[in-house]
Amino acid sequence: MDATASAALVLAVMVAAYIAARVLKISTELSLLAAALAGALAGGAGLPARHIVEGAFTYFDIVLIFVSATLFMNLLKESGGAAFVVRAILRRFHRRKSPLFVLLAVLLLIPGALTGAGSVTVLIMGGMVATVLSYMDIPRPRVAAIIFLIAGLSAAAPPVSLWAMLTAAGVNMPYVGFFLPLLVPCVVLSLMTIFILGRKARPVDLEKALEELPQAPPKMTWLRVAAPFLAFFLLVIAGRAFPFSFPILGLPLMFMAAALAAFLLSPVKIAFLRTSRETVHQLLPLIGTLTCAGILVQIMALTGVRGLIAITTVTLPVTVVFLTLFLILPVSEAVLMWGAAPVLGVPLVLLFNTIGLDPVVALAGMSVIWPLGDAIPPTAIIGRLTTATVGVKEPYGQFLKHGLVPAALIAAAGTLMVVFSKKLSFLTVF
Amino acid sequence: MSPMPTAMTMRKIVIAALGAALGAAAGLSFYQSRHLPEPVVPGPGVTAVKKLSDYFGPLEGTANDVNVYVLEGAEPGGAFLVLCGTHPEEPAGRLAGWIFAENASVSKGRLFVILTANRSASTVTRLGGAYPPDYTIVTPWGGRTFRMGDRWSSPLDQWPDPEVYVHYPSRQELAYIDIRNLNRTFPGRPGGTLTEKTGHAILELIRKERVDVVIDLHEAELQYPVISTIVAHEKGADLATLTSMMLSSEGGFAMGVENSPRALRGLSHREIGDNSDAVSLLLEAPQPFLDATRGRTDRALLLTGRDEFVVRAGKQGLLFEKIDDAGWPIDVRVGRHTSTILQILEIWSEDNPGRAVVAGGVPRYDEVIKSGTGAYLKDVKTADPAKIVYE
Amino acid sequence: MITVLYYALTAFVAVLLVRNFIDRKKWQEEVLYVIVLLPFVLRILRLK
Ligand SMILES: [Zn+2]
Repeated sequence: MDATASAALVLAVMVAAYIAARVLKISTELSLLAAALAGALAGGAGLPARHIVEGAFTYFDIVLIFVSATLFMNLLKESGGAAFVVRAILRRFHRRKSPLFVLLAVLLLIPGALTGAGSVTVLIMGGMVATVLSYMDIPRPRVAAIIFLIAGLSAAAPPVSLWAMLTAAGVNMPYVGFFLPLLVPCVVLSLMTIFILGRKARPVDLEKALEELPQAPPKMTWLRVAAPFLAFFLLVIAGRAFPFSFPILGLPLMFMAAALAAFLLSPVKIAFLRTSRETVHQLLPLIGTLTCAGILVQIMALTGVRGLIAITTVTLPVTVVFLTLFLILPVSEAVLMWGAAPVLGVPLVLLFNTIGLDPVVALAGMSVIWPLGDAIPPTAIIGRLTTATVGVKEPYGQFLKHGLVPAALIAAAGTLMVVFSKKLSFLTVF
Repeated sequence: MSPMPTAMTMRKIVIAALGAALGAAAGLSFYQSRHLPEPVVPGPGVTAVKKLSDYFGPLEGTANDVNVYVLEGAEPGGAFLVLCGTHPEEPAGRLAGWIFAENASVSKGRLFVILTANRSASTVTRLGGAYPPDYTIVTPWGGRTFRMGDRWSSPLDQWPDPEVYVHYPSRQELAYIDIRNLNRTFPGRPGGTLTEKTGHAILELIRKERVDVVIDLHEAELQYPVISTIVAHEKGADLATLTSMMLSSEGGFAMGVENSPRALRGLSHREIGDNSDAVSLLLEAPQPFLDATRGRTDRALLLTGRDEFVVRAGKQGLLFEKIDDAGWPIDVRVGRHTSTILQILEIWSEDNPGRAVVAGGVPRYDEVIKSGTGAYLKDVKTADPAKIVYE
Repeated sequence: MITVLYYALTAFVAVLLVRNFIDRKKWQEEVLYVIVLLPFVLRILRLK
C-alpha cells in the first residue's frame, strides 16, 4: 500500500473513532484521545506509551500559564476587585457608548496581546466586560461573540503572537517586522467587531445595574485592584527592558506573583486552597483538550496523517489555497490548536514565499484568521470557555450565529493581507 | 458502608494504575534514551580529549560540558573547528564528525572536533514530532546506536523559557522557545542560560585556540530555501565560493553558496564571524525527515530519506532541492559533509600556507557512499577500553 | 533558583489534580485528570 492510501486509512479510522466516541456520549477531550489511540493502532504502532506521553507534554508550558493566570483572575474575583472595577466603569461611562466600547476593546486586547493566548483575555477580562455589555441590553450569546472574537484578535496581536512565532521559528525566519502587520488589523477588526455587534446596545440603566451587580467590599480601593496587574506588567516590562540582568521568570511565575499580590491585598479573607482546587477543576476541559490534542498531533505525525494533510493543502492550486484559507486555517486550529502552526503554517508560508509573496505580511494575515477556529468543534476550546465565562444559557449555535458577520470580515481581511502581502510589505518596519 | 463508594474506589484505583503503567513505560523510555551511551573510539590523530569547561569553567558538571577532540599535527599551522550536533536532530553532521574523530590523522596544524555541541538537545525528542528515540548505523561488526535528539535543549536542563527571547547582545526578539536553540544563542552570554553559556564557551574555545575557520554542520528540510549550500560569513565568501566550484565540478555533487544575512541574529555563521577572528561557515545537507509534509515518521525515513509526500511536494515545485524515489540516504548526506570539510581544508591551506591544516584518513563523498558510514565506525568491543570516551 | 520554583509550582498543581481526581464521581473526568497529570508527574520525577 502506498503512503497516501495508508495515511488516508489511518485518518479515516481516527475520524470514525472520534465520531463513535461522541455517539457513545464520551466527552470531546476523551474522544480526541480515542481518535489518537485508534490511529496509533491502525498505523501499526500498537499502544505507543512513549509517543502518547510525549504528545501529552506538547502544551505543558501553556497548561502552566493557563493554571497560573486563571488562579490570579479567580483570586481577584474572590477579593471583590472585579465587581469594584465594573461598578466604577459603569458609573463613569454609562451614558456614552462609543468611548465605552473603545475602552472595553482595549481592555480585551491587552492580556491576549501580551501572553499570546486568547483564553487569558477571556479569563482575565471576559467576566467583567460581559457584565458591562449585558447591562447594555445586548443578549448573552452576542456578548460572548464579541468577547470571543476580540480575544482571538488579542491572541494574534503583537508583541506575542504564538502562531506567527511558532511558524516563523519553523521556517527559520526571525520574528521581526510583525508588529504593525499584526497590530493594525487586530485593532481595526476589534473595533469593528464591538461596534457592529453592539450597534443595538442601549445606555445602561445605572440604578438598576448597580443594584444587581455584586457589591464590592467596602475596603476595596483602586490600588488594591491595580497593584497585582501592575506587578504583572512590571515583571513583563522588566524582563523585556533588562533581559540580560533580570532573571528569566517565565509567564507562569509572573502570573503567580500577581496571584500572590491579589491574595495578600484582598480586603476579604480568601480560601486559597479551595480557590486553587476550583480553578483546576474549572480548567479541566481546557487543559484536558490541550493535553489530548497534543497526543493527537504526535500520533498524526507518527502515522503520516499529518504529512497527508500538509501535502494535500500545499499542492492545491494557489487560488484555491487563497479562497479556502478561511476554512483551512480555522479547521486546523479547531483540531490541533497551536499544532496548526508547524503542521500547516510552515508549509503554507514556504509555499507563499516560493510564489513571491511577502512571508511576514502573509503570516500575519494567516495569524488573524487562525483564532476563529477556537470556536468550532471538535475542540472549540476558547468558544466553550467564553460561553461558560459569560454564562450563556442558549445553545452553542446561537453564539456562533451572532459572531458570523464580524468573523467573515476577519477572515476576508486576513485573506486579503495574504493575497496583497507584497503591496503591504511597507508595514514590516519593526 | 454502601457498595457504591467501594465500586467507585475500585474504579479509581484501576484508572490510576493504568495511568501509572502508561507513565512508567514512557518514563522508562525517556530515561533510557536520555542516558543512552554513545561511545567514541578516538582515532590515530586524536592527541587529546578536552572538555568544553576547560574553556569556560561554569559549564562544568552540566549536560553541555561536552568532549572537544583535539587532533594536533607534528608540524605547526592553523586551526579548524568542526562543530557537530548544534542541532542533534540533524544526524549527518554528527556522523560526519564521528568519522573525523575516529579516522582522521593530522600532519599539520590543529583540528578541533565537537560531536555534540548541544548535548542537552541530544537527550530529548521533539514534542509532537513523533521522532524515534534513537537510530542505528549498521557496521561490518554489528551496529552503533545514537540518540535521536532535538533542535532545542531539554527543559530538564533549562527551565523555564522567557516570555519572549531577547537575543544577546543584539536585543533582537525571537520566539521564546529559541532560547534553547544553540544556533540562535551565539555568541552566547557568560551569565545566561545553559544554551547561552554553551555558545559563549564555544566562542571562548575559538578565541583561546586562535581558530581560523569554524564549520558548523547541519541538515535542512527540502522545503527550506537554504539547503545543499555553504552559508558563509563575509570573511569566508571567497573560501566558500571556491569550495563550491571545486565540489560542483570535481566533488561529485552540487553545492551552493549563500551569504550570511546580517538581520539573522544568533546563528553561528553570523555571530562567530562577527565576534571572533575566525571565518564562520555553515553547511546544510538535505534531510527529508524534517519536512512538514513528511509521511510516517520513523527510523527508516531518518536513514533513507525516502518519502512519497516529499516527492509529491517536489513535483509541485515546492522544494529547493530535488528528490526522487531514491530519497536522500544518510551515507549521501554524511559524504557531502566529509567531502566539503576536506575541500575547505585544502583550499584554505593552499591560500594560507602559514595557517595550513592538513588532514588525511577521512573518506570522501563517493567513498562514504560506496562503503557506508558504518565502515568508518570502529568496533567498540575490540577497542582499548581505556581509550573509549562517551558523548 | 527560578527553576526550583517551577518544580514547586508543578508539584502544587499536581497535588491539586490528585485531590480533584479523588473527589470526582464521573469516570470520564477521572480518566482526563489522570491523563493531564502524567506530564506533571514525569516532570517532577525529572524524566521528561
Ligand atoms: Zn540545523
